[in-house]
Amino acid sequence: MVAIDRAPAKPRRRYRNLWRQTPQSFRIGLIILLLHLILAVTGPFWAPYGFSQMGTGIPLSGMTWKHPFGVDQLGRDVFSRVVHGAHIVILLSLSGTALGLVVGAILGLLSGYIGGWFDNALQRLLEALISIPFLVLALIAIASAGPQLSGNPILVVAVVALVYAPRIARMARAAAIDIATRDYVTMARLRGESAWSVMRRELLPNATSVLLVEFALRAGYAPVLIGSLGFLGFGLRPPTPEWGLMISENRALIIITPITVLGPGLALASLVVGLNLFTEGLARILGRTVRLGNQ
Amino acid sequence: MTPDTVLEVRSLSVAYRQGAGWSRAVDDVSFALKKGEVFGLVGESGCGKSTVSLQLLGYRHPSLRAEGGAVLFKDQNLLKLARPELDKLRGEKIAFVPQNPTTALNPGIRIGRQVAETMVAHGRAKDLGGADAVVGKYLKLVGLPVDPAFLRRYPHQLSGGQQQRVCIAMALCCDPDLLVLDEPTTGLDVTTQEQIVSLLIALRARIGLAMLYVTHDLALLSQIADRIGVMYAGKMVEVAETEVIFNAPKHPYTRGLIGSIPRIDFDSAERERPLRGLLRRQELPPGCPFSPRCDFALERCFTEPQKAEPTGPESSVACWRWREIVPLPPEPIVIPPLPEAKGELPLLTVDKLDIHYGSAGKVFRAVNDVSFAIRQGEVFALVGESGSGKSTIARAISGLVPPAAGTVTLEGKALAPRVNRRSAAQRRLIQYIFQNPDASLNPRARVGETIARPLHYFFRLDRSKAAERVAAALADVQLDGSYAARFPDQLSGGERQRVAIARALAAEPALLLCDEILSALDVSVQANILKLLQALKAEHAIAMLFISHDLAVVRMLADHVCVLYGGEVMEIGPVDRIFAAPFHPYTHTLLQAVPVPLQPPPASDGLNAGEPQRGGQGCVFAGRCPWQIGDICETTRPPWRAGEGGLRLRCHHTIEALNELADWPPLTETSRATRTRHENRVD
Amino acid sequence: MSILKLVATRILLSLLTLLLVSLIIFFVLEILPGDVASRILGRDATPETLNTLREKLGLYDPAVLRYWHWLSHFVTGNFGQSLVSSRAVTEILAPRVFNTVLLSLYAFLLYLPLTVLPAVIQAIRRDRPADHALSVVTLVLLSMPDFLLATILLFLFVVVFRWFPAISLVDPTSTALDYLWAMTLPALTLAIVMAVYAVRMLRDNLIEVLDSDYIRMAELKGLSARRVLFRHALPNALVPTLNVTALNLAYLVGGVVVVEKVFSYPGFGSLLVDSLQLRDLPVIEATVMIAALVYVGANLLADIASVLLNPRLRTA
Repeated sequence: MVAIDRAPAKPRRRYRNLWRQTPQSFRIGLIILLLHLILAVTGPFWAPYGFSQMGTGIPLSGMTWKHPFGVDQLGRDVFSRVVHGAHIVILLSLSGTALGLVVGAILGLLSGYIGGWFDNALQRLLEALISIPFLVLALIAIASAGPQLSGNPILVVAVVALVYAPRIARMARAAAIDIATRDYVTMARLRGESAWSVMRRELLPNATSVLLVEFALRAGYAPVLIGSLGFLGFGLRPPTPEWGLMISENRALIIITPITVLGPGLALASLVVGLNLFTEGLARILGRTVRLGNQ
Repeated sequence: MTPDTVLEVRSLSVAYRQGAGWSRAVDDVSFALKKGEVFGLVGESGCGKSTVSLQLLGYRHPSLRAEGGAVLFKDQNLLKLARPELDKLRGEKIAFVPQNPTTALNPGIRIGRQVAETMVAHGRAKDLGGADAVVGKYLKLVGLPVDPAFLRRYPHQLSGGQQQRVCIAMALCCDPDLLVLDEPTTGLDVTTQEQIVSLLIALRARIGLAMLYVTHDLALLSQIADRIGVMYAGKMVEVAETEVIFNAPKHPYTRGLIGSIPRIDFDSAERERPLRGLLRRQELPPGCPFSPRCDFALERCFTEPQKAEPTGPESSVACWRWREIVPLPPEPIVIPPLPEAKGELPLLTVDKLDIHYGSAGKVFRAVNDVSFAIRQGEVFALVGESGSGKSTIARAISGLVPPAAGTVTLEGKALAPRVNRRSAAQRRLIQYIFQNPDASLNPRARVGETIARPLHYFFRLDRSKAAERVAAALADVQLDGSYAARFPDQLSGGERQRVAIARALAAEPALLLCDEILSALDVSVQANILKLLQALKAEHAIAMLFISHDLAVVRMLADHVCVLYGGEVMEIGPVDRIFAAPFHPYTHTLLQAVPVPLQPPPASDGLNAGEPQRGGQGCVFAGRCPWQIGDICETTRPPWRAGEGGLRLRCHHTIEALNELADWPPLTETSRATRTRHENRVD
Repeated sequence: MSILKLVATRILLSLLTLLLVSLIIFFVLEILPGDVASRILGRDATPETLNTLREKLGLYDPAVLRYWHWLSHFVTGNFGQSLVSSRAVTEILAPRVFNTVLLSLYAFLLYLPLTVLPAVIQAIRRDRPADHALSVVTLVLLSMPDFLLATILLFLFVVVFRWFPAISLVDPTSTALDYLWAMTLPALTLAIVMAVYAVRMLRDNLIEVLDSDYIRMAELKGLSARRVLFRHALPNALVPTLNVTALNLAYLVGGVVVVEKVFSYPGFGSLLVDSLQLRDLPVIEATVMIAALVYVGANLLADIASVLLNPRLRTA
């Protein structure tokens, strides 16, 4: 009889090492995200001025120590507005993406595992929704919601979810189909396990990394989508300090005080850079590849 | 460097990028190649042999770093040479034959162009368009058709064997001094492998070029190599002439490696003890890398690095105890007699099974009219090349693929074609084990959970009961209870396959469907699992349907064998009748193709690698058969013929004629060496 | 023959998708949010004017009938009349579409070198400073909303360097040079936005191909680095990029909405925004359908092209 083999030593997981082993992009992204989160949570308490407070300084007076992002046409302090806007942008992005993820993941996983006519019909519908450029889809959805709802944050959340759900569903479906062909799922089928049990024990644990990366990726682009809507005048209403809206409002001033545009622009771009770096790093940790970008 | 040295490797060390750091793949390896010599490099996966072979061509890659030493070709160090200088040498003086021709040929360029391109790059042809004639010359040399239409084919339009011939033509087209072959026949069927090796031997006799032949297959190497270097964990542990390696191996690893080879010729009376344990790269000692698995290791071996010590003019060994160690006696293989068949029904019968793929328009007959029976506790082997339908039969038995016609009966009751129509007891009694252990374990479940699942599902055991049974199942496959807490990615391939076996055993099955379960594993791991299966057969009396393309393994394990070709049964019978005359022509072809240590391959008889004649009027093997009688083989289905001891085969030749034609095994006196179990059982 | 069959199936599926898109658009815009007539008239609505408008629009017909009318007209090229200006939608659309097509072509020409050059540099200098630097640049550009990028370009080239006019006004009397001048900044914005995405993809594809067995084989048979890259690696790496390019074409249709607005370029995208603000339903429907058509068409072409470029599929 052969001697019984002992198990390999358990990899030691020390948190300090764990942090050092993460990709650099993940670490930088996480730091940027944390800064934004701190800004969003504490900002309203220490911002020098109110978000709609007028007469804080000479309008269009440019960059000063008192007004690092300048003063807009109505005499509002742009820096304070950016600080007040942080939690709005982050909250709307995350809740819209989360809603899209829940709807999309359920539809996609079900569709991929059940197959048949249900899958076919859903596929065609999702394909049709994806065929409408996402900004156009968002715009017509908002336009058709009517004037009563326009500018309502809940509408913005719903539109983000509407745009993302079909794309996330497509991803989840592909993941479900891929996992369903693995031998361990075949083993479960040979054992006679129910579809629900296969879903819970085999599919979902193995799809979480795909879904997690997908969530981070989509959440990274949500601020841009919300900003675009605000920029075009279809998103939140003034005087809400939403960053895209602010860029749109101050755009005409770019010749006189460029900082009133670049300030909110910097805030928006740094948030998205942080989210994208985080996503890329997360994907690398989870052993996935990810295509950053809005498509 | 002596004048007849073609190339010399001096203390070569190579590292791969791993995360942020670098890990050594090759450590202080030295050897030299003489003119016209074939040097074999052998070792298990991850030992660094392929990395060494690539450095012979000065290969560079961003995640690969030569950390020391030199590769000297005509006084030039290839590791230091500038890229344009290197380009002049590679392909011209030193040529490369890759492991996997399917991925090594550019899928978007016609094969004629890919060969011509090499010749143009080295000034052997003026331009791509006008090179057809010279390219044709080399295609002819490697036994490929030379018509222009063939040159215009894309790689995917060729079979694996033809693709490898194209790669060899490409390597030869500039008349190099040295050919580097990196596992050139791995992944090809055994008959194709035999053709390629015969081609290389013939080429060597004609052209006389030097070769570095890298492979994991020692038996194959013994047919072609003059000297062999054995690598373990990045180090060269032994270099010696081929006969010496086989007859008087010095390093304990070489001994174990030779002991691990399944021998088809049964010349195993003086068998070395096979390797034990596993290579754990993360836990290598500072001394000899083999010491954790070595039966002769002393305290000193773990701490002091070994240096290669010359044992002859052209041989060396990296073990300071080589003079004193004597081989351990081989472990007796205990093979119990089969349980008495008490006149009851066979465990499983397969009757007139047909399995078709594809839709009404294009039907592919994967399996055609296959019948056999498996008795309680016996190992029944299905043998054949890729595409012979052996795995498809297992899938039909398990209920994954519904057959087009025929029935499968378990313990006297017909099984439903689909698994979801079978009873829980029926599903429990048949357990499947897959080829690739990486894909058959849920990566997100601990080993314990994976094994406990069938226990919960079939026996409704509670947690503590299940935990006990998990530990017992792990012990059955010779794994420690602590494995239950590990995830599959922390285990090696061999350990994972054992976990998969433990999961199947947990269901207390009557029949295991073992679908090529050894083919993804290294030879030493194979030997261990083979031993494990023999023990399981003895202790649990579980029947196995053992699917394999490896005839040597089948001969060691199986009680009954069924040889398949093109989805049809060619020959079926007890194992000792299959491996003795009379042979079915196809069985004979397969047996002849299996390399036997220190035996030259049979003279190539120009066997053409045809496709099976599926769904035709005649024999499926017609057109490829070396003993074809004539038109009758193409037009009439061959009759079943019965031999002695329950052997049945399907051929137009009579049993007597087949007895006459048989020319196997190669070693006539010794290979009749008895293995007691077979004598016990036949009568 | 199987190729023809494959193409035919793809075309049929594309038509089905378009049909579904038309259904979605029609029902979302006309049925979901209550009364179209009162939305068009807004605060000026009186019961009489509402009634006449409803009659005129056929709002008393069943929805399915109205969809059928709309679709059958649409297929024959009759997009209806604008509710705002009473001109034929085709007449309003034609010059806008022309402008946008020109802009897209220009952007596309800029897009190709902007994609291939950085990707090739990154792939051959992989994990070196040049690769890292370009990675950072593409990541930042990728994270930059297109309206912000457009605004910054505008600021740099118009305000700081004063090379370009701030507003891209063109009309039928403009000369070709006027067009070119007016279009450069919007086209550059679009090209950058499209390219950063494709660069990252092409870099990864190229590295994957450069790591493949056949590239190693090509190097080991003594081909020069240049030949290996351009003859063996690039053609195989570009094929998967085709699908991204199709997606980019589709992005163009949405991207022009924002970019044309920033540069006040009179194209198709700014028409969509304007008509959405004016609730001019026939124009909205026509533009969205055209956008979907471009997306579906581009994907179809990319699919067919990748079949034709793959010898395995072509010779099957």
